[in-house]
Amino acid sequence: MDRLLRQLSQLAITVFGIVTVTFFLVRMIPGDPAQYMLGDYATEEALATLRAQLGLDQPVYVQYGLYVLRAVTGDFGSSVVTGRPALEEILFSLPDSAILAFAGLAVAVAIGIPLGILTAERQGSWSDMLIMIVALFGISFPVFWLGLASVLLFSQELKWFPALGASSGGGVLTHLHHLVLPAGVLGISVAAYITRLTRSAMLEVLGQDCIRVARAMGVPERRVVWRLALKNALVPILAIVGVTFAWSLGSAILIEVVFSRPGIGSMILKAVSARDYQLVQAGVLVLAVAVVLVNSLLDLAYGLVDPRLSTR
Amino acid sequence: MPNHPMPNLHPVAPAAPIAPATAPRPVALELRDLTTVFPGDDGPVTVIDGVSLAVRAGGTLAVVGESGSGKSMTFLSALGLVATPGRVRRGEVRIDGTDILHQPPERLRRLRGAVISMIFQDPLTALNPVFTIGEQIVEVLRAHQRIGRAAARARAIDLLARVQIPDPVRRVDDYPHQLSGGQRQRVLIAMAIALSPRILIADEPTTALDVTVQAQILDLLADLQAETGMALVLITHDLGLVAKYADDVAVMYAGRLVETGSMEEVFTRPRHPYTRALFRSIPRLDGPVDEELPAIEGQPPNVARLPPGCAFEPRCTVGRGRADCCTRRPLPLAGDRSGHRSACFHEDLPDRKEAAR
Repeated sequence: MDRLLRQLSQLAITVFGIVTVTFFLVRMIPGDPAQYMLGDYATEEALATLRAQLGLDQPVYVQYGLYVLRAVTGDFGSSVVTGRPALEEILFSLPDSAILAFAGLAVAVAIGIPLGILTAERQGSWSDMLIMIVALFGISFPVFWLGLASVLLFSQELKWFPALGASSGGGVLTHLHHLVLPAGVLGISVAAYITRLTRSAMLEVLGQDCIRVARAMGVPERRVVWRLALKNALVPILAIVGVTFAWSLGSAILIEVVFSRPGIGSMILKAVSARDYQLVQAGVLVLAVAVVLVNSLLDLAYGLVDPRLSTR
Repeated sequence: MPNHPMPNLHPVAPAAPIAPATAPRPVALELRDLTTVFPGDDGPVTVIDGVSLAVRAGGTLAVVGESGSGKSMTFLSALGLVATPGRVRRGEVRIDGTDILHQPPERLRRLRGAVISMIFQDPLTALNPVFTIGEQIVEVLRAHQRIGRAAARARAIDLLARVQIPDPVRRVDDYPHQLSGGQRQRVLIAMAIALSPRILIADEPTTALDVTVQAQILDLLADLQAETGMALVLITHDLGLVAKYADDVAVMYAGRLVETGSMEEVFTRPRHPYTRALFRSIPRLDGPVDEELPAIEGQPPNVARLPPGCAFEPRCTVGRGRADCCTRRPLPLAGDRSGHRSACFHEDLPDRKEAAR
């Protein structure tokens, strides 16, 4: 319980930090929202009126204070483009991005962790080296390049999967069909990273005394690796998954653009070019909170894996 | 493991004739010409060089030598546990007359833990931190036997009781970090003897423990040995423990065996200049208080760059610079019928320092 409280207060501090950083970050985007909304031929008068309306005529620290005060009550302002509450807009498109990010992460975990263990088991063999080289390529290729290449191959040439959209209107099967390519591309690029880090976590554990003891007592190698060593490596592996979740959310934004999928990513992109401060702020905040939440949950999970962390 | 009174650790004229050996028990474990190499920058480095040893059933062999002399590596080699890229290049490991080293890996795996078992120096790292001690004992049982979960757990509790862990029914679900160092070593002993092996190798089992616990652990091993008649190999650099518990002694230097014999023989008449120097470097309670302890001159050897002749030659007060010591390798040959052997060309010559006194 104590642990949970500490976790929650940490969460609150982190969220406050994120609110502050995004506020100032967004104001560093060059350009004037009023100018953008009214066009190049707007009169000075009209611009001033709109700025006053948006509260942009006040000093930055007043804007910041007002923003934080409203944020505490859950009011993140309204989109200057659609006029609807920014948080509502973002939360509306959150499920699309979340599905993509989690599907990608699931693919990455399903490929990366077993491959990492297998390569650690066979360290120095030709299969280990081959997989590590492929993984290095996977990390080096930008995700949008992989996305474009896969669209060319699987949609244009082979016509296996649709290239664009998420088919939100269709049934579950059509939806899944649309998800295969983007989630696959996202998963493979993240899997490369998970493979390498799982391998090094396993190698470290396999070199430990307790593993030598298990071997000296005749425990079969398969059980030594997949049970005794793996549970030890699980804490670093979970930490890796937490880090890659942030990364796959970031990559999901790029993937949404490449595959023209709806989601927070494409929404933030449009909001940035429209200087829609409130929407960008709310979008970045939601993404950041998602990352923090997932990592807090993982922190709690460590205690289940490693008894030394839970009894403290 | 006989509990001898502490004999004089210094070479003196034998006060009494060595007691005649009782009917010799069968040899439980025999190493023949065991040689292990690791790849090095200038070709393979021989870390274990032609080691031949034997331990009798119910007997205790102490293996002594400084750190890095290959004591542990010898027995890791015997168990087929040399970490890659190292490998056993030649030799045999015989248990009851059958060589186990050239068996398929699966057969060797079945022998490990069941017939020949090993405990290690540091009980703090030797137990798996994320499993309960019960789970770890059960893992060993189930590696060798078809046994149900409940039965295995009951066996684990029995074993914990046998190594004198208090309240084993409750302790079986503890994690290693909830136990003291001495208790952890007891748990490791419980794992090692779970399948009543005929040979137990104890690699400095008490080095990481404090002195009072040391005696408890060694007495536990002695009791278990008396009950089961297993052969015990005690790897140590504590000559006091050797005197108290060992029947036979093997002295190693730079991956080679330099002297073997019964404990009484080696302690009363050490032959190899290295063994003699080792004994001289021990403080004695009845010696002059202000006398400086003689240390062995020079640096411990680098096994990658050993001299072509005797490995001890550069530090030896007898053989340093002698033509034969510099060019030829002495082999551990029997000097007499007692089985006391030493690998030295000049074991009959006195140490130069001693001669000067």
